[in-house]
Amino acid sequence: MAVNRFTTMAYSDADEMVFGNAKKPVKTGLDLEIGAGYTTAEVNYAPRPEAGETQEKLVNEYQRITKDIMSRMVQVGFPSVVLETEHVQQMTNNPEWGAAVAHAQKTIMEEYYEEYGIKCALRHTPGDIRENKDYMELRGDKLNVVIESFEQVAEAGADLLSIESMGGKEIFDYAVLRNDIPGMLYAIGCLGTMDMDFLWQEIAKVAQQKNVTAAGDTDCAQANTAMFIAGGLLDKNLAHTLAIIARSLAAPRSLAAYESGAVGPGKDCGYENIIIKAISGMPMSFEGKTSTCAHSDVMGNLIMQCCDLWSNESVEYHGEFGGTTVQCWAESLNYDCALMNTALKSGNEKILRDLLMASDRFRDPQSYILAYDNAYKIGQAIVKDGDDIYLRAKNAAVECCNLLNNSEGLDMTKFELGALAKATAELDGLTSESEAFMSESMEKYKAEVAVFKPENYAL
Amino acid sequence: MLIVDKEGILIRYNVKMEKSMTPEDAAAELYPADELIRPIAEAIFEGEEDDVIEGLEAAIAAGKDPVALIDDALMVGMKVVTDLYDQGVIFLPNVMMSADAMLDGIEFCKEQGGSAPKPKGKVVVHVAEGDVHDIGKSIVAALLRANGYEVVDLGRDVPVDEVIAAVKKESPMMLTGTALMTTTMYAFKEVNDRLMEAGLNLPFQCGGGAVNQDFVSTYALGVYGEEAADAPKMADAILAGKDLEALRTEFHKH
Repeated sequence: MAVNRFTTMAYSDADEMVFGNAKKPVKTGLDLEIGAGYTTAEVNYAPRPEAGETQEKLVNEYQRITKDIMSRMVQVGFPSVVLETEHVQQMTNNPEWGAAVAHAQKTIMEEYYEEYGIKCALRHTPGDIRENKDYMELRGDKLNVVIESFEQVAEAGADLLSIESMGGKEIFDYAVLRNDIPGMLYAIGCLGTMDMDFLWQEIAKVAQQKNVTAAGDTDCAQANTAMFIAGGLLDKNLAHTLAIIARSLAAPRSLAAYESGAVGPGKDCGYENIIIKAISGMPMSFEGKTSTCAHSDVMGNLIMQCCDLWSNESVEYHGEFGGTTVQCWAESLNYDCALMNTALKSGNEKILRDLLMASDRFRDPQSYILAYDNAYKIGQAIVKDGDDIYLRAKNAAVECCNLLNNSEGLDMTKFELGALAKATAELDGLTSESEAFMSESMEKYKAEVAVFKPENYAL
Repeated sequence: MLIVDKEGILIRYNVKMEKSMTPEDAAAELYPADELIRPIAEAIFEGEEDDVIEGLEAAIAAGKDPVALIDDALMVGMKVVTDLYDQGVIFLPNVMMSADAMLDGIEFCKEQGGSAPKPKGKVVVHVAEGDVHDIGKSIVAALLRANGYEVVDLGRDVPVDEVIAAVKKESPMMLTGTALMTTTMYAFKEVNDRLMEAGLNLPFQCGGGAVNQDFVSTYALGVYGEEAADAPKMADAILAGKDLEALRTEFHKH
């Protein structure tokens, strides 16, 4: 698999983007097409802690989860659904466990498809276990286990392959706690992209061999860490202006999956997916107001604006008054999809998209930048230097700062503005030479971050 | 494109409630008056390691005892930082950078003086077995150190046996465990059971990711820490004589 960088935008302008439609729809699973004129719920779940004790217990747990979701879908009359199984570590470390779960789930989904005709697909997301107790081990034996896990789940019934890859995280964790913007750029934009180039060519190869879909990645390990540390409006752990700079850096990084053979749908927790959809034209999964079971954010409506799959991120499986958690959240997601699909059928999709966007646009610097019009501008900054992974990441961060510095209608605190001013100045001072930045950064972080091993990135 | 005025739709309470005083102004009110100590405290607040060492050298040259400077200058400067963080005046990265500068200063004072003052207490920290997500643990460790506690950091993906052995060896006042995933946090129950079997009835503060108060309440030694900043507060509460029940009353907020 070759790496083909994006140097142009898939959409001619931002207004062209809507939910449920992608320039390059993806056919997958049992009669499902994603981004082809309708939205579909993507239900995500986690087993109860004690279920991980044995393979048998774990398979039973996922069978219950899958049956619960599929039965609720037909009870309430929903036409399509995607199930996503994010592996617990036992399932990736023991590829046969993951395969057994995928097989059990797909068997149930096939029964429902045959009996009721419900369109559906199964996404499996092995854990990125490429590290040991002390260090990242991105290219060692653990990689072989990850690839074997992909092979086995694909053979056992998974239709969509994804991962939340962790390249660059050892530098990012250090940099984000020190307001270090060049460090965040190096971690996400450079190291993260380099690791994804390497990893996704391997995953795409598996998908091609097994005739399944190489779906996509997310910068959960870094940009979501920044978003969660930043927290709510009153939290004082990270300026929200820095969290959205991290998110902007994540867009060219997560884009690398689609440059190495992935075709979408991108992973739900990649809030950067709106920028990636604008560039790639591929369908994307998103999460927001219906992922409050997993975490809070400050853009619950807005992030739904251009989704193709609509997810709940994750919920632990247990009982609620309205059924099991997966039934409750699957139903909520699907009612949202029914509303979006009604808007699409009646020609009102741009009105609904704009209502969703407008309700959160000024809630936070993060939502302001991820509003589809501003996200599109970040995309343009990325493809301007699409062939240079450093410059395109720097461009994304600079454009993010420009948009915030020239924002209209967005109120920011002195802290947020101070952090923004510092970041803007630091980015202004950065070299325009990729090689110089890479070599200076490597020396700096080799000295400062004890767990950084450049050989993980073939450096 | 539709743009709607935000009035009546949302309120940025952080903007509305923002204090008029800048962090620098707030810190200036808290710095010690001593002309030799103040520059060290200021350098800690700014997170400037080189300036901290320079300040310490000047103070030692003027006759101050290097070991005494740890409590009298470095910890005083760090208290300015942690107080302002607790008051919501400064952000976590400021604390982390100040803590780095403080630790460099402590090392320098120990080299110069050949000893160190007794810490407030010892805490063992770890990430659950099977879990390699350790940024939460790193924050907990930094905040504990910033508040004068000695931290024994076992790292991430720590086997239960190793946790029990460390508690036996170090005799800490508190153990902390962090986990991101629901499946890995199950190790906390085993740690709890093994501690109790060995008669080690110390508070076991657990938090992070999918960990919640309901889960932590299911084992006898568990106390839920919702925020990393709860760790030093819990250690302070233990020093003040609070038992497990009192800790749960104070820190179980839901």
